Amino acid sequence: MFKSTNLDLFTFPFTNFKNKTYRYSNDLVALSEDKVNFMKITPEYKVQIKRKREMLEEQPEVRYQSFPHTMEMQWEFVELLIDLSINKYPEHFSVEKDGDQWTFTNHILGETETFIFGDESSLSLEPYDMIGRHFHNDFMLMVNRDDNFYLEVAQESFAALFSPNWNLGMSFNEIHGPVPFVSRDGVELTDRIRKFLLTIEPGAPRTRVNWNLMADRWDVNYETMDIWGPERDKVTAENAGKLVHLRVEEQWFIRMPRSNAILFVLDTQFLPLEDLVLRPEWLETTYFNLADIPDYMAEYKGMAPFLPQSVEYLENLMNSMKVK
Amino acid sequence: MYNSPVLYDQSETIKEKLSFNDKRKKHLIIYDQKAAGDVKQALTAHSQEELNYEPFEIEDAIKLQDLRTLLYSQKMGTHLYIASNWDHAATVFAEATEAGFTEDEIQTVIYGPKRRYIYCMKCYHTSEISDGDEVQCARCDAYMEVGPFFSKVRKGYIGYPFIPN
Ligand code: HEM
Ligand SMILES: [Zn+2]
Repeated sequence: MFKSTNLDLFTFPFTNFKNKTYRYSNDLVALSEDKVNFMKITPEYKVQIKRKREMLEEQPEVRYQSFPHTMEMQWEFVELLIDLSINKYPEHFSVEKDGDQWTFTNHILGETETFIFGDESSLSLEPYDMIGRHFHNDFMLMVNRDDNFYLEVAQESFAALFSPNWNLGMSFNEIHGPVPFVSRDGVELTDRIRKFLLTIEPGAPRTRVNWNLMADRWDVNYETMDIWGPERDKVTAENAGKLVHLRVEEQWFIRMPRSNAILFVLDTQFLPLEDLVLRPEWLETTYFNLADIPDYMAEYKGMAPFLPQSVEYLENLMNSMKVK
Repeated sequence: MYNSPVLYDQSETIKEKLSFNDKRKKHLIIYDQKAAGDVKQALTAHSQEELNYEPFEIEDAIKLQDLRTLLYSQKMGTHLYIASNWDHAATVFAEATEAGFTEDEIQTVIYGPKRRYIYCMKCYHTSEISDGDEVQCARCDAYMEVGPFFSKVRKGYIGYPFIPN
């Protein structure tokens, strides 16, 4: 299992403190010009890619789904990812174009992909699946039709409670059916956020951070609920530091200029609770937020069986640091 | 289309009894023998006003070719009423959405039991289930709790796997 080792690159999820703890809201924010490009290579890059590719190889039906009519959008996605990677990391990625004959090189892994742009038969995988395997993010393509968004392509290895296989073809509203999606003041959020997404324009993506806790487990999806469900009970206030990980999903919502679809990109990062000692202010903020999570949210997020133990662990940890 | 509506037990098109939508220009009524009496009654009750309707009775088995010709020949503004047992209704519903009818333009009245299906999250197989919150997958035997969410693509309710103790 990988964890974030360079904490300067870790996306700490809680920005609020004490009197304003975490609740669901329309927390989409704009990005400054230097941050619109989501590409991020961390020390974990190679481990993540290895893991991602293993999952795609072992469970293709679980991890990748697409409709056959999406090829044009898939090529738009290929072009977008190549452009973004080269813009941010010209030392790591490059492309050569000879007419429609493209050669993309990933210098970190020492790999090249050669294909005819726009011609699926020049690749052994679907274009979206091929290029997605060079980046450690999860990628969901939501097609905009009739004021809603429909999931038409998905490559997922790390996001929690997400199943490309189950969610394929669903609207934004259907996908969020299971979420107790109400604000602190009781406002129903699904439609409000769907409408907000309609206003996102090309070149001006939005971002938000989702978070969860997981108990000694990487994959938290519906497919494996029978396994991780019971495992959650083994967490105690003593072992929570090692077993329980803060699981952070940094998310981007990008409007694709040609297809008008919204590309949903996730960067999933893990930090064991014990590593919070490295940043005492994070430790304290995490403690205050977790101690105030309402039951309905803990239930939905799947952390109800081990949240109290985790909070107790953090409290003990804070006290022991004060003593020192 | 991959995300065409499908008929399932919670479909918003399902009504207790036939009631004509007055805003529509034409009413196409497709029914089987079980519903014949009720359909006649509904039409008589409505006879004062002029109702532009076309009835189509399903004999023992549906003649698909006739059904398709009928559905594709409808003009804009036609409201479809399906009054039949589940299997007939499911066939007519699927053909109608294929022919371009949306859920807003369909009313369904089911005679007899409705069918329910579950999508197994272990083996991705859709199978029919009877009542109850917990079932076993017909293909892989996994135990599943029947979830409240339905997929039009998978044509079933989500089955959350669990290991019985
Ligand atoms: C447009 C692309 C999006 C996709 C494909 C997507 C997908 C998902 C999925 C699959 C889940 C898990 C649902 C389940 O339990 O079955 C989820 C949960 C959630 N989504 Fe989205 N989502 C999108 C956009 C958004 C946006 C824009 C927001 C908020 C501003 C949002 C907020 C949430 C929240 C709060 C949860 C609950 C997560 C938790 O508490 O751990 N989503 N989403
Ligand atoms: Zn099964």
